[in-house]
Amino acid sequence: MSLAQVETVAPEEAGGSLGRDAWRRLRRNPVAIAGAVLVVLFVAAALLAPWLAPYPPDKPVGQVTPTSIPGPSAEHWFGLDDLGRDEFTRVLWGARWSLVIGVVSLLLGMAGGLLLGLLAGAFGGWVDGVVMRLVDMMLSVPGLLFAIGVAAMLGSGLDAVMIAIAVVNMPVFARLLRGQMLAQRRSDYVLAATAVGVRRRRIVLGHILPNSLTPVIVQGTLTLATAIVDAAGLAFLGLSSNDPSIPEWGRMLADTQRYLSSAPLLAVFPGLAIIVAALGFTLLGESLREALDPKYRR
Amino acid sequence: MRRDGMPLRRTAAVVAGLALAISAAACGGGDDPEPGATGTGAEGSTLIFASSADPAILDPAFHSDGESSRVTNQIFETLVATEEGGTGVAPGLAESWEVSEDATTYTFKLRQGVKFHDGEALDAAAVCANFDRWYNFTGLAQSDSVSYYWVTVFRGFAKNESDTLGKSLYGGCTAKDAGTVELKLTEPSAVVLSALTLSSFGIASPKALKDYKADEVSGTAESPQFTGTFGTEHPVGTGPFKFGGWTRGDRLELVRNDDYWGEKAKLSKIIFRPIEKAADRAQALRAGSVHAFDYADPADLESLKSSGAQVLERAPFNMGYLGFSQKTEIMKNQKIRQAIAHAINRENVVKTKYGAGAKVANAFMPDSLWSYTEDFTTYDYNVDKAKQLIAESGVPSPTLEFCYPSGVSRAYMVDPAGNFQLMKADLEAAGFKVTPKTSPWSPDYLNTTQAGDCPLFLLGWNGDFGDPDNFLGTFFQSFSSQWSFRNEEIFKALGDAEKEPDQAKREALYKQANALIADFVPGVPYAQSPSFSAAAKNVQGWVPSPVLNDKLASISLN
Repeated sequence: MSLAQVETVAPEEAGGSLGRDAWRRLRRNPVAIAGAVLVVLFVAAALLAPWLAPYPPDKPVGQVTPTSIPGPSAEHWFGLDDLGRDEFTRVLWGARWSLVIGVVSLLLGMAGGLLLGLLAGAFGGWVDGVVMRLVDMMLSVPGLLFAIGVAAMLGSGLDAVMIAIAVVNMPVFARLLRGQMLAQRRSDYVLAATAVGVRRRRIVLGHILPNSLTPVIVQGTLTLATAIVDAAGLAFLGLSSNDPSIPEWGRMLADTQRYLSSAPLLAVFPGLAIIVAALGFTLLGESLREALDPKYRR
Repeated sequence: MRRDGMPLRRTAAVVAGLALAISAAACGGGDDPEPGATGTGAEGSTLIFASSADPAILDPAFHSDGESSRVTNQIFETLVATEEGGTGVAPGLAESWEVSEDATTYTFKLRQGVKFHDGEALDAAAVCANFDRWYNFTGLAQSDSVSYYWVTVFRGFAKNESDTLGKSLYGGCTAKDAGTVELKLTEPSAVVLSALTLSSFGIASPKALKDYKADEVSGTAESPQFTGTFGTEHPVGTGPFKFGGWTRGDRLELVRNDDYWGEKAKLSKIIFRPIEKAADRAQALRAGSVHAFDYADPADLESLKSSGAQVLERAPFNMGYLGFSQKTEIMKNQKIRQAIAHAINRENVVKTKYGAGAKVANAFMPDSLWSYTEDFTTYDYNVDKAKQLIAESGVPSPTLEFCYPSGVSRAYMVDPAGNFQLMKADLEAAGFKVTPKTSPWSPDYLNTTQAGDCPLFLLGWNGDFGDPDNFLGTFFQSFSSQWSFRNEEIFKALGDAEKEPDQAKREALYKQANALIADFVPGVPYAQSPSFSAAAKNVQGWVPSPVLNDKLASISLN
């Protein structure tokens, strides 16, 4: 940042905290707005599904046969599915399940990753070595394959899926946090705190950790997108709830495969829903990353 | 056919076949007569049939899959045949037969002047040689995966080598004279007659069996290896077609037997070509490279019809049911079982998930089978009645654990998860709570249901031969952990029916059994579904058999 630039910045915008600065940049970024709108739509659909949905999600509301599945109409905006249930209702409810799976698996993965990263970053030395080799091992297996393995080991069920996705995300968070903490550890304020005799636990939890969390938040938003896609992928591969009537986008995609030629829209709607939700979180996450990155700070 | 149309143990054979198919395709020539080019003259025509896979083996005694029996049905003949297009018993190699009063002695009068393809005469001694061969199987040939149907019908061998085998029903075969066979049973059974229509009881030339070492089986029970060449290169029977050559994975040829005792085949040749996927078979038919195929996907029927092909319906000889295991207290409660029967909208399940020609099943046997009359209790779809029955049952807020399989599709259960979801919605509407449980079809699901560990489960049955015993007897003749109930009345009616030689009395017994079963509600039968075959426009005279005993000799091309 050169002196000349500082002079051109309006007084109320100059300086300020990183947070306020980031918020300003975010507000002006059309990509961020688009992402936020999609995310709000998704969350609203998820939270309000029981009130917004015109029909019950798990009960047939019209007669279908394998060769005649009615498409979109005034009563059924997205048509009926292969069991005669309202597709629009199921896509709405699907948002709810995606949000639950995404958030729970994200929180689990974050918690596990942070714990590992904290261990490695705070202690360094052989603890760091062991934890990071473990993380390396986990990262060396392709994500979805790893998730399939974990889910298959845990048996069927939604909790297995959520744990599987969490386990896959754990090393990402662990590595991220550890890197941040290592950088902080060598910084002057930590040195100073150590010199004046602040206890190690207090330095780590009170200073290093909060200062290392920013990229974790960004990564969390991005991970929510991949968690939703991963959950759909696992469901598509048959790893999902024991109850097939739960409207879960990946499962809806898989179940309508055989009607791809006669009723292709049944695959299009849940597919679009997955794309929109993942896109929303990705756009928001990327703009958040840009906004929070001091390098972009003007 | 067993519950799982194509048994798992055949998968190994199919995989091996596929591997061979790839290598054969690499070096195989393209000298196929195009269907359009040949087949104009009624006398010199070739039918190309798209099978789904290679046969496992062409020795009738050793196969239990439809791909093998489709071929051996043309080469071999059984003592008694299945009536064309139906499930009744008709004369085969035996012109007539008699069953003794006590149903332990069957006397068959053989057709005169029948010769095997190798010139040997078919006489009583040859027939008995076949029975004695089956009865005296040893080693691997006794395993369920090799001689499945002998074990199913005759239960055991001369020297049983496994504890799971029982005392054999077979009591000996005597050639009374050249044209008279006397078959003795160790226990009365009236079922053996229709069981003898199974292609697995096809009569082979004893000389060829011996010359080509038919009984040599090595390998393991999971993947038996047939070291003799009888079943792969020299299957010799009496049928209207003779074996003409087999390149695994590519083609199997049959040629007309010009010395056939009956009406000679109109086709001069049949070529079976394996095409694994239903969609690819349909495409081959549309493209004119094959004349006919089985197991068409209901989704392809419209496009086949519009391309000018014929679609033939194989009458339903199966049934899908919702079974109850009475291991748990709640399923022992008859009101609960009745409530479930009333709660399920079977009509909707069949309409939503099955193709044209499928029907609601009301009994544990197809309605086309003899002795079926609907004078038993039926359970109509009635939610109020179900609710009332739940109230009367004394079970507050009943919860049902409901199992359904994944990774399987059968004519009687096209989409198990779909059926499950519809039934779950119905049960919940009536006030039940449903706990879903799922596992892969084989072996997990089959094992759990057979052990009776699923209170509610989806299963079905494909019939083997036209006898109610093959359905009702299989399910309910004695205690089985799958159903986990004892109902002596039902057991007795079915036991008596199996032993009763008098057809009219048997019919009455099966009617009685159906009525008892319907009142007892051991489960809810809900669907019977046809399967579909397709043929080119110019194929005439093909009559699909409900029990897969098609005689292709009646086909002509014009």
